[in-house]
Amino acid sequence: MALCTRRILQQFNVGVFRSQWHSVSSSSAPVMGSAKPAYLPESSEDLTSHEKTLKEVLKHPDFFKVAELFTVEDLFKARVHLGHKEGSVHVNMTPFLFGSRLGHVIIDLDQTAEYLRQALNFTAHIAFRGGIILFVNRTPQHQVTVENCAKECGEYAHTRFWYQGTLTNSAVSFGCITRLPDLLIFLNTLDTGLQQHTGVKDAAKMLIPTVGVVDTNCNPNLITYPVPGNDDTTASINLYCKLFKSAILRGKEKRKELLQL
Amino acid sequence: MNLKVTVARSLSSASFSTAADKADVTEPVEQSQKMSKAMKAYMERAQAHDAFMAEQIAEYEIGRRHLANIMGEDPETFTDEDKDRAIEYLFPSGLFDPRALPQMKHPSEVFFKRKAAEFDYSGRPFHALFYTGLPNYYQILHDITEKVQELDHFASRMSHFNVTQDTNKTMSFGGSEWLTKEEFEKKIVEAIKDYHYEFFVKSMNRLVAHPLSYREKDFIMSYRKEKVSALLLQEIPKLMFNAEGVPYMITTGRRKTSTATVTVYGRGSGKMTINNKDILFFSNIQDREQILFPLQFSGVLGTVDVVAEVEGGGTTGQSGAIRYAISMALRSFVDSEMVEKMRLAGLLTRDPRRRERKKPGQKGARAKFTWKKR
Repeated sequence: MALCTRRILQQFNVGVFRSQWHSVSSSSAPVMGSAKPAYLPESSEDLTSHEKTLKEVLKHPDFFKVAELFTVEDLFKARVHLGHKEGSVHVNMTPFLFGSRLGHVIIDLDQTAEYLRQALNFTAHIAFRGGIILFVNRTPQHQVTVENCAKECGEYAHTRFWYQGTLTNSAVSFGCITRLPDLLIFLNTLDTGLQQHTGVKDAAKMLIPTVGVVDTNCNPNLITYPVPGNDDTTASINLYCKLFKSAILRGKEKRKELLQL
Repeated sequence: MNLKVTVARSLSSASFSTAADKADVTEPVEQSQKMSKAMKAYMERAQAHDAFMAEQIAEYEIGRRHLANIMGEDPETFTDEDKDRAIEYLFPSGLFDPRALPQMKHPSEVFFKRKAAEFDYSGRPFHALFYTGLPNYYQILHDITEKVQELDHFASRMSHFNVTQDTNKTMSFGGSEWLTKEEFEKKIVEAIKDYHYEFFVKSMNRLVAHPLSYREKDFIMSYRKEKVSALLLQEIPKLMFNAEGVPYMITTGRRKTSTATVTVYGRGSGKMTINNKDILFFSNIQDREQILFPLQFSGVLGTVDVVAEVEGGGTTGQSGAIRYAISMALRSFVDSEMVEKMRLAGLLTRDPRRRERKKPGQKGARAKFTWKKR
């Protein structure tokens, strides 16, 4: 078992696009990848100024400059690279791993940096468009941190028992027609009992995009913007909270500035 | 903030007018484009729901008026009870389950309501913990955890500066108890389950157990209520005065099947009269001790006179009845401290024990016949 895991771990570098591999940065120079946005602008004659602004913002690869928010060294200092033991590694996480040391798995921070920038960029765009963002976490030691982080950026948090009908049967759960969150940010995709959080599946069912910090024992399949990284250490959780909060606040700032909303 | 004025008016059920209501409708098309698709979808659903509910309510009202006419009553004064009775009369059913019976309910009871107060115009909830389903309850748990952390932080700073804790300040919460689940539900305006309440009490007890909990006294006491002494709830009758100005109190006491009517006179010399006889009415020492005990306990042995009339039962029952009656009368003569002492001594408790009946197949109430193995 240990032997074949090691062989799998040696096949790293699969998760990163070839074109981006050379542009992946060193710890001192944060730079957004050169991927072009898939969305192509239509002709701008029939659009209102509001819609024009929205389209212009999407053209830019990093409109909110989220790449400046952190460096790989920051991630290292917050112990984001520390995974669990080899035996608990999820098959789908193997592309994101750097290697292992004495049975403990190490996550590739260069890849993490890239995924994290994409996730922060997406979060900032959602905030820019006035979307409802829901922070989800189920570790008791970080409940207060996550709830405070959500409050400070004017968004929402759910660190408690998740009722099955929260997203899929919201009218009955809340007793009235509810507007569902437009983005779910999982700071830990596992629930108590090391099962995947119901919210991951339900958000996929309801076509709600998700951003999720996936540790080595998690399954990143259903997460729209997975961020491979440590989700157990308080230092890492504090860092993620800080980064997502900054991204959201930047998005909202630009919303006020450009859309006057 | 510029709102789409017409939409805002239809959505809001507030009775006050906002600045938005008075704003000029200059570019309604432009304004609506500023909303994202998600917001638009929510508003469309909300409007559709409002329209649907209006339709249902209109149909219901028409149906109600028809029903009143069928029953030959005035539609204006047709109450809900009349309507239920009419349905029961017109649609008789042999079924027992109330949910299976034909009913005509107001649409707001049948379909879920759209709570206008919890969201703003764009559907964003006001409370950060809205999606948990119990925002107020979980906010309290959040506060408790934060306060415990703050107190720990404060304690570590105190120890850093070598400041010892003033033990006099440590709060004792003995005179109060936690709000009951019903009272707590009323306070937070949310319906919670028993395990939610139990967890809340456990969390609060952790906060209370912290040595520095006095710093959060206000927060803690807002979820506690003072224990009201049972004594304070009782009203002790005031002393009456006869023609000579002698204070007296009349009481009735019962024990087993005996009833005693006792008058205790103040400014006396310790005279005891039972059914026009002396204390020697009771030949048994124990019975005599029983009736003297309340006087001796409260220290009025030689200073009050007792006149008792007793009937029914036997010696023990009669003496017990007189004792209880004397204790209840003495409450008016002594101070509240002594009354509390008497209560603790058991003098003010009506002994409810009665003779248990003999059962068939047994020798007595509890005693069984001799058990033979074979």
